This record gives sequence, structure tokens and C-alpha cells, in this order.
Amino acid sequence: MSEIIATLKKDYIYNLMVKEKRQDGRGFKDFRDIKLETNVISKAEGSAKVTLGNTQVLVGVKLQTGTPFPDSQDEGVIITNLELNPIASPEFEPGPPREEAIEMSRVVDRGIRESGAIDIKKLCITVGESVWIVFIDVHILNDDGNIIDASCLAAIAALMTTMVPNEQQGLGENVPLAMKEMPVGVTVAKIGSKLMLDPSLDEEAVCETKLTIVSSSDGSVAGMQKMGSAPLAEEELFEAIDMAIEKAEEIRALYLEGLAKSE
Amino acid sequence: MNDKSDKLITDDGLRLDGRRADEIRPMKIEIGVLSRADGSCYLEWGRNKILVGVFGPREAHPRRSQRADSAVIRYKYNMASFSVEDRARPGPSRRSIEISKVSREAFEPVIMAELFPKTAIDIFVEVLQADAGTRTAAINASSIALADAGIPMKGLITACAFGKVDGQVVLDLNKEEDNYGEADFPVAMTQDGEITLVQMDGHLTPEEIKKGMELVKKGCKEILAIQQAALRKRFETPVEEVSEEKVIEKEAKKEELSAPKTAIIVEEEHEEAREIGAEISEESAEASIIASEVIPDFEEDLEEELEEELEEELEEELGEELEEEFEEELEEELEEEFEEELEKELEEELEKEFEEELEEEFEEELEKEFEEELEEELEEELEEELEEDLEEELEEDLEEELEEDLEEELEEDLEEELEEDLEEELEKDLEEELEEDLEEELEEEEAELEETLSLEKENIEPEAEAEPEVEEEEISTETAEAEEEGEEEKSEGPWKVVKDPSEAGTRGEKDE
Repeated sequence: MSEIIATLKKDYIYNLMVKEKRQDGRGFKDFRDIKLETNVISKAEGSAKVTLGNTQVLVGVKLQTGTPFPDSQDEGVIITNLELNPIASPEFEPGPPREEAIEMSRVVDRGIRESGAIDIKKLCITVGESVWIVFIDVHILNDDGNIIDASCLAAIAALMTTMVPNEQQGLGENVPLAMKEMPVGVTVAKIGSKLMLDPSLDEEAVCETKLTIVSSSDGSVAGMQKMGSAPLAEEELFEAIDMAIEKAEEIRALYLEGLAKSE
Repeated sequence: MNDKSDKLITDDGLRLDGRRADEIRPMKIEIGVLSRADGSCYLEWGRNKILVGVFGPREAHPRRSQRADSAVIRYKYNMASFSVEDRARPGPSRRSIEISKVSREAFEPVIMAELFPKTAIDIFVEVLQADAGTRTAAINASSIALADAGIPMKGLITACAFGKVDGQVVLDLNKEEDNYGEADFPVAMTQDGEITLVQMDGHLTPEEIKKGMELVKKGCKEILAIQQAALRKRFETPVEEVSEEKVIEKEAKKEELSAPKTAIIVEEEHEEAREIGAEISEESAEASIIASEVIPDFEEDLEEELEEELEEELEEELGEELEEEFEEELEEELEEEFEEELEKELEEELEKEFEEELEEEFEEELEKEFEEELEEELEEELEEELEEDLEEELEEDLEEELEEDLEEELEEDLEEELEEDLEEELEKDLEEELEEDLEEELEEEEAELEETLSLEKENIEPEAEAEPEVEEEEISTETAEAEEEGEEEKSEGPWKVVKDPSEAGTRGEKDE
């Protein structure tokens, strides 16, 4: 069904693209309205809900103690999981995660892990024996396009508001999770020859390829993933990186830096 | 993190395995290593050992996975449990699922899947030994295996990674560099340099990415050369044999190419020619109906008249002696007259008819259409082919027409002539000299006449129509053949007519 709609809308979106316009009147570098709420789930150590247009994503962070990996005895463990819940879209079905879900969860995970957002050394309770395991569970509640950027933002926001439950384990006072970086994922969609940010559901259906770029506050890139079957020219890659870094800084300043100060 | 090795790059710019920053590890490719797979490749890249088998296009299962408009490309990246330091858990992991997805997408732009709807093209990758860069190694191997399987592709896919080690951008990371480096940036690209796979983790500035992309392009170029060399080695036939065969093939192809084009044009003309033929055949059909009606009556009349006249007059007046003279005279006269008249008449008639009908129809239509529309080269070809087609049609049509026309006109002329000549001469000569007994002898004479005349006409007629043939140059030899055939059959017309007086005799003889 959605594929049929996408086919019918393809010309429309293409024609708009040629006129430098988008379906909802945005510019190519505009995001839809972002609304960020934190601490929405009190049972979770950290939580955040992001609405991006009509896309809704809820991230809950839970911390448990566990044993470290043998090759990183003094480091905490990050486990990210993203599920495309059937509640979010008629396209999603119950069952084991599809490769899209696995890919997205790994991209979210990569952004947080590779940017060094969490100071994992500080999650070590006893070297080689006990560390905190950070479970980042991304729940997609409503899919109206660009789940991945919403998930990245919700995940980092949830982590920034996470309290390590030391009291629960008899380890002293609860402390905020030690954060070092604020990675922001920005997805660039390629439709025809144009690059645009924050693709809507229709635009995602029409676009041949997407490039998600997770960048850090120093303007460097922490993670990147090309999704979709169309090729990308080298210049387009560089252009996308520049667009994403610029937009990430904007989002970081608007939504995340406030969270960091409030801690 | 870097505590396990002090430096990954020495001060003189060499890496742990002795490579410089822009060098790739040595690569070895073997093609067709699996007999059951449609295409296969074994690739060693540094310490990576990758085996790829390609199956398909084959029926896609489950059926709901089929696509009505193209083949489904399936890429399964699997790591052997013994391929890494710590035993990997067998079966698909989240990592292998992700790599499978992006690798599949790396091939989708080049595989011409639309040629094989409802099928599946399976690419199975087994990482037998892993040493960093397995996904790029697997893509390079898969590209070769796909080519080995004969899957139509727009080009080869080449993959290579760059990374950052000790703050320096380097090409094609090995295991140590991957583990303790700061970034990994695998890229796959087409032969045209279009990027079909991009992943990245670590820490890179946009400037470092640009620098790294330059290295990747260089690396991919080198890998492409290795891939192409491997494919050539496997599939290229010796040059000497190829050159001769190719020349012949090319010539053959040229001929093949040029022939159908003219054939197509000619076919159109054929249709027109057939239409003309159809018109002719209709006309001839009408004429034949008329002729068939006319001839029997005429024969009967002639027979009756001649017989009556001859019998009556001859009975009374002809004598035995005159019989001989009569015979001679009749023969001579008839011969001469028939020859002359038939020649003239046939010439005239055929000329007229051919000129009128054929010239009108063919000259107008053929000349206008063919000469105007067709170029000189095509004319020859068309003529040849038209001749063939016309042969059939014209032969039939001409035969019919000629028969009819000749029948009609010969009948008329012969009627008159025979009547006149026979009457006059017979009357004059016979009246004076013939006696009572001529009946019997006349029958014999008539029979003889039949024979002689028939022979004469056979001789005469081809001569008579030699001229029209010459005039109808455009109609060519084959129409001439048609005419000849027509003439042979035309002889039936005069044959019947001339027979008439004697026919009863011959028939009587045979029947008796």
C-alpha cells in the first residue's frame, strides 16, 4: 500500500524537489518541529521522548550490574536496542527485529559508543568483575519518517538525564551518568539530485538513498551509515557531511546544551 | 586503548606490516573454486580469507519474497566461528545482519536484477579467517563471484577501507590498526567512482574524510586492476585465436545487421506489389470466367460450320487427285498464314497487352513507387526479391491473363482467318477439283493439320513473345519466365481453336 502511494507521489515530490520545495513547505535544510521531553518514565534511570513532526520515539535507559567483556575489563558495557513496534506503523509486524531495526540500533549505538559520549571507564565498579551495563532501549511509537534522527536525539537526551542507581546496589549516592560528548545524528536523504534533511515518511519512500551522519560537538564525525540502494557521488558525500554537521550543531545548541547545564 | 602497542606507525612512515599509509595489503584472487556454485571466488587479502559462492538467478523461496519486476538480491555474510581469536558464536549476529544489508545495497546499483523477475540471486560469504576489513574483502570477492556466475552487471564493485591510526589517515587497516586505531571508514564504489557503501565509526574530521576518500579511490583503483586481471586470466582466450575469430564474427555480424534492415524495407514494398498482384489476379479471374464461357461455344460453332461447309462442298466437287494438291496447298498456306498471322498477332497482342497492362501497372506503380521511393541499391535488392515474389504471383496471374487474352484474341482472329482462308481456298481450289470421296481423306488431312499446326505454333509462339520480354526489362528474367510459361499454356488457346476441325478426328482415333 505504502509503496503504491509512494509511486504515485513520486512525481509530485520530484517536481517539488526541482522547484527547491518540499511537500510540507520546508527548506531542504529544515527539520520538522522537534519537541524533547526528558524524565518521562520515572521507573527508568533515564528517559526521553522526542517528537519530530508526527514521529514519536521514546527511549528508556536502564542500568544493571554485570561482568565486563574480557578485552575491556575496566569499562562499562553499552547495549543498544531498537525495536520497530507494530504500534508505530502498519508496516511493522511483530516478531524478531528486521534488518532495518538492527541496522538503526547499531547506528544509534555507534554514534554513542564511537563519539565517547559515555565515560565508560567510570562505569567500572570492580575491574574485571563488575561493571555497569547501560541498556539503551529505543521504542518507536509512531513512524512518520526519520526515526533514526529522533532515536539518536532521544537516546543522548535520555543518557544525559540518567542517574546511576548506586543506592540500589549499596554503592553510595545516585549520581548522574558521566557524559563526555553530545553526538547528534542527522540523516540526509537524496531525492533525484538534491540532498535534504529530515525526510518525511513519503520522502523516505521516494528517496533512493539516505546517509545518516552522527557528529560530535567538535565538528567531527563519529559514525556514518549509508542506507538504500542508490549510489552516491563523492561530492554528495562531502556535501551531506557538511550539511549534517551544521545541523547537528544547531540541534545540540537548542536541545542538548540546556540539559547539560540543568544537571 | 593504545597501551597494547606503542606505535602503529613508525617515524619513517611505515606501518606494522611494513606498508606505507597509501598501500593496500597484498590480494590474491581465485575464481571458480566451488563446483556446485554458479559462481565462486576465493580471496585472500592480507590475512583475511574469504570464500564467496553465488547461486542464481534461481527461483526465490519463500514465494512471498519474490518481486514481480526484478530479481531479489540476497547477501549473507557469515563468519566462521574459528575465524577470529575468541570463538564466534555460530549463526547470524546483529553485526553480520547489518553487514549483509549494507553489502547487498552496495551491489544493488550494478546488478541488473530487472532482467530476472521473480528470481533470487544469492551471494553467500564465508569469512574463514578474519583480520580486519572483512566486509570490504567480502565485497571484492563477491564482485568476482557474481561475474563468474555470469550475472549481468553494469560494472564491478570494489571496496576498500581507510582509517585513522596514530592521528594519521591510512588505507586498508589491518587487525592491530582496526583494534587500536581511531576510525574505520569502509567504502564500496562502482568503476565510475560512485559510492555504493559508506559506513564509518570512530572520530574523523571532514578534512580527514576528504583525505581518506582520496586514499580509498587510489586503493579501489588498484583493487579493480587486480580484479580485472584475475577475470581476464580466467576468461580471456588467447589473443591470436581471438583476432581471427573476432574478424569473422564481426563480418558475419555486419552482414546480419545489414541484411535484416533491407529485408524490412523490402517487405513493405512487397505488400504493395502483392496488392498489385491481387488486382491483377482479380481481373484475370474475371477474364478466365469469360474465356471459359466463350471457348466451348466457339469451338462448337467452328466445328459445325467448318464441317458442314467442308463436307457439303467437298463431297460434291473434290476429286482424288486434288486431294494431294489440297493437302500440300493447305499445309503450305496454313503454315505460312498461321506463321505470319500468329507471329504478327501474337507480337501485337502480347506487345499491346504487355505494354498496356504491364507497363501501365508495373511502370506506373513499380517505377513510380520503386524508382522514386527506393534508392538505387535497394532497387536491385527489391527487384530480386520482388522478382521472387512476383514470380509466384505474376506467373499465376500472367499465365491466366495471357491465356485469357490469347484465347480471346486468337479465337477471334483464328476464327476469321480460318473461316476466310479455309472458305476461300477451299472453295476455290476444292470446289473446282474436289470430288465425292473427300470426306474420309479430309478427316485424315485434318488430323495431320492438327499435328503440324500444333508443332508450328509451339515453334512460333516463343518467337512471337521474344520481343515483349525484351521490352519488359524491369520485369526481369523471372517475369519473362512467367511469360514463357504463360505462352506454353497459351498454346492451349490456339490449340483448341485449331484443333477444332480435326479434334473430332484425333479424339475419335484415340477413343476408337
